[in-house]
Amino acid sequence: MVRKRVVVVTGVSDYWGARVAAQLLQQPDLHVIGVDKEPPKGPIQNLDYIQADVRNPLLAEFLRSEEVDTVCHLVFAESERPGETGFETNIAGAMKLLGACSEADVRKVVLKSSMMAYGARADNSAFLIEESPLHGHPRSGTIRDLVEIEGFCNGFRGQAPNMVLTVLRFPSIVGPTTDTPLTRFLREVWTPVLMGFDPMMQVIHEEDTIGALVHAVQADVPGVFNIAAEGVLPLSQLMAVAGKFPIPVFHLFAYWGSNLLESSPMPVRRYLPLELDYMRYSWVGDLAKMHEQFGYMPRYTAVEALREFAGQKRLSHYSPRKTVQACDEERLRDTIERRRRARELEAQMMVNVEEAGRDA
Amino acid sequence: MPDDIASPQTEPIPAPAAPVSAANEPYEEGRVSCMALTRAGQPCKNGPLPGSPYCRIHQTLAEEANAELPVEPQEQTSIVETIADEASNARTAAPDEGMRQQLAGELDTLIQRVRAKTPGYAPPPFSPRRLLELIKENLDKLSPEIGLSMLEQLRRTITNDVLNLETWKGIWYLLNYSLQYQAGVLKRRMTGEYEVDPWGLDLEFLDTIKPFFEFLYKIYWRVQTSGLENVPNAGRALLVGNHSGQLPWDGTMVGTALLTEHPAQRLVRSLYGTWFPTLPFFSEIFTKCGQVLGTVENGIRLLEQDELVAVYPEGYKGVGKLFSERYKLARFGRGGFVKMALKTGAPIIPFAVVGAEETYISLGKSQTLARLTGFPYFPISPAFPWFGLLGFVPLPTQWYIDFGEPIATDGYGPLAAENPVFVSQLTDQVRNVVQDMVYERLRKRRSVFFG
Repeated sequence: MVRKRVVVVTGVSDYWGARVAAQLLQQPDLHVIGVDKEPPKGPIQNLDYIQADVRNPLLAEFLRSEEVDTVCHLVFAESERPGETGFETNIAGAMKLLGACSEADVRKVVLKSSMMAYGARADNSAFLIEESPLHGHPRSGTIRDLVEIEGFCNGFRGQAPNMVLTVLRFPSIVGPTTDTPLTRFLREVWTPVLMGFDPMMQVIHEEDTIGALVHAVQADVPGVFNIAAEGVLPLSQLMAVAGKFPIPVFHLFAYWGSNLLESSPMPVRRYLPLELDYMRYSWVGDLAKMHEQFGYMPRYTAVEALREFAGQKRLSHYSPRKTVQACDEERLRDTIERRRRARELEAQMMVNVEEAGRDA
Repeated sequence: MPDDIASPQTEPIPAPAAPVSAANEPYEEGRVSCMALTRAGQPCKNGPLPGSPYCRIHQTLAEEANAELPVEPQEQTSIVETIADEASNARTAAPDEGMRQQLAGELDTLIQRVRAKTPGYAPPPFSPRRLLELIKENLDKLSPEIGLSMLEQLRRTITNDVLNLETWKGIWYLLNYSLQYQAGVLKRRMTGEYEVDPWGLDLEFLDTIKPFFEFLYKIYWRVQTSGLENVPNAGRALLVGNHSGQLPWDGTMVGTALLTEHPAQRLVRSLYGTWFPTLPFFSEIFTKCGQVLGTVENGIRLLEQDELVAVYPEGYKGVGKLFSERYKLARFGRGGFVKMALKTGAPIIPFAVVGAEETYISLGKSQTLARLTGFPYFPISPAFPWFGLLGFVPLPTQWYIDFGEPIATDGYGPLAAENPVFVSQLTDQVRNVVQDMVYERLRKRRSVFFG
């Protein structure tokens, strides 16, 4: 019997780790090991779970003894402001993991990042290519961590030239089950926006996020990729499709208010899940590299992903049973369209492969 | 019934034909009068010219209306206009039977197109009384021309002694459709079902604010544009011109010129400075009108997509010129625009805007206020900042926009963009061409306000 390829997924106690591990377990040729400090919240069938922290000094030995081929690193702790926990879990965790992987001759490492790392700035080009500088955001903990990890990865590529290091940058992720800054924002009752600003936004569906990560584990695609759904739309349209009414706030007041809340001694609930700059300037990634080199196309378009999210959100006001969704005509129409597109894409790819074979 | 309108046997909109006989019929104490309505909306009391249904005053109006070819209808409102246009054409030209048939056929195709846009649309049942009420309620929603042409047509059918029911029905149908269309637009905006291109261009938004810029273009600044034939009907080109006037009105007027006067109605993508995205409303409106932040990557990408890109290489230095320095071109930046053109092989089309420099009179600039407000420059004029917002009202000077001969760049190859000496030479060359064009126009101009 051929030995299965061993894949380690870190962070299986969190949403992304658990979803990606479950998806990878569908592949017959993979042996999936889940590594995390805490056990998965729900049962994941056939998952080979090992309780360990990625910062454990023995991690390299573990990876070597298991003959691990690929590591998909999904441990990430969101934090509003730069702090010690974020540094320890995210930055130190990624550095130590990458070090251990290189020591244990792991062939491939896959990391999930965000386009937020580019930073939302007035001088951003309309489409940011992967090589654009990562300006980040000075005050967001999550984004600072992402920028530091990516900076470390860039340096690491030189140190371990044989390793396939894939970093996927996603825009705001939406979907019925995920919890991201944008979905939190769209689930708020009041959705303030900055008056007179309407930046272009990209989104991606949660299934496509997982699909892209799984694809990166299965195929060898070294490098950094922007991964987003087809369609760039202004924030106002995004909110309209998601069924939210924008409440315009003069931007200076919004910034003052945000600073005021920031400095107040009371532990206030985060008034806005998105950083204000990210609702003021656009931070749209260029998808040419995804189209040409990545080999996975998101199934959902931006509007479809938002429509599905909106339907689920509307329903959640009335009934907790998610099965009712199946009756939704709009949703089914989108699904039919999406599957048809996927088939077409596959057929196209087959033709391309055949042609390439003939040429050879 | 709307079906009657569509079927060719019943003459879809018989208005074009019916009034012809009415023209010479007396409707006021046996006296023959002019067909037109006066500006106040009253029937004209003047006697008509021989062989024409119009009096001397309105004859010229009718000729002008005839000279304007009916434009391709894009939306419901323009269909109404087209019908009204054709109606007035038919009236003055006194069409023969063949002309009538042709007009009827054209109207049928228009109606078919409207039908195709909203399949299954049926207006509420018709009665003349209800039509009048509907018009009364919605008069302010219609543009003056449409409203006037409708009323004029109805007025004529009444004087025709017989109520021409078909005309009334046609207007009933169109008015209902138009209102439903407007309600539909609102709903689509609310639910996000509209198309925006990846750069953020929102054509519906552009159509909404276009009339304002057309007013500035045609009436306020009476812009005279020449050399439009130098701008290609399709394909990439880089427009390079002088910047002036404290606020970027010149950019809007160049855009309006090409959108309204160019045969291909080309949309210009002007590249703007990084200050504008930080300003509320400017950022939003610029993006929705298809304008793009001025970075070299954006410019190259746009040109590769065969767009028409406009740059103002003087930047803030040019737009914030003092009155004493007017029409002296500032430095042309670092030649980023030349690199864009060289890398994409796009021809450089120089253009000069004359008249914009005098819209505001900048006597000095305040460094302190600029730093305090974060503006790139802070002009002091006789009106600004002393009179607050009134200081933003530009002076109604006479403008000229001249497009010059294209400068081909595809012969140099993309590698030339890496040669700094060559880039700066080409930059200076373009700058001199634009400066010469400005002086050429200034030489001919006799008055700032009257051209």
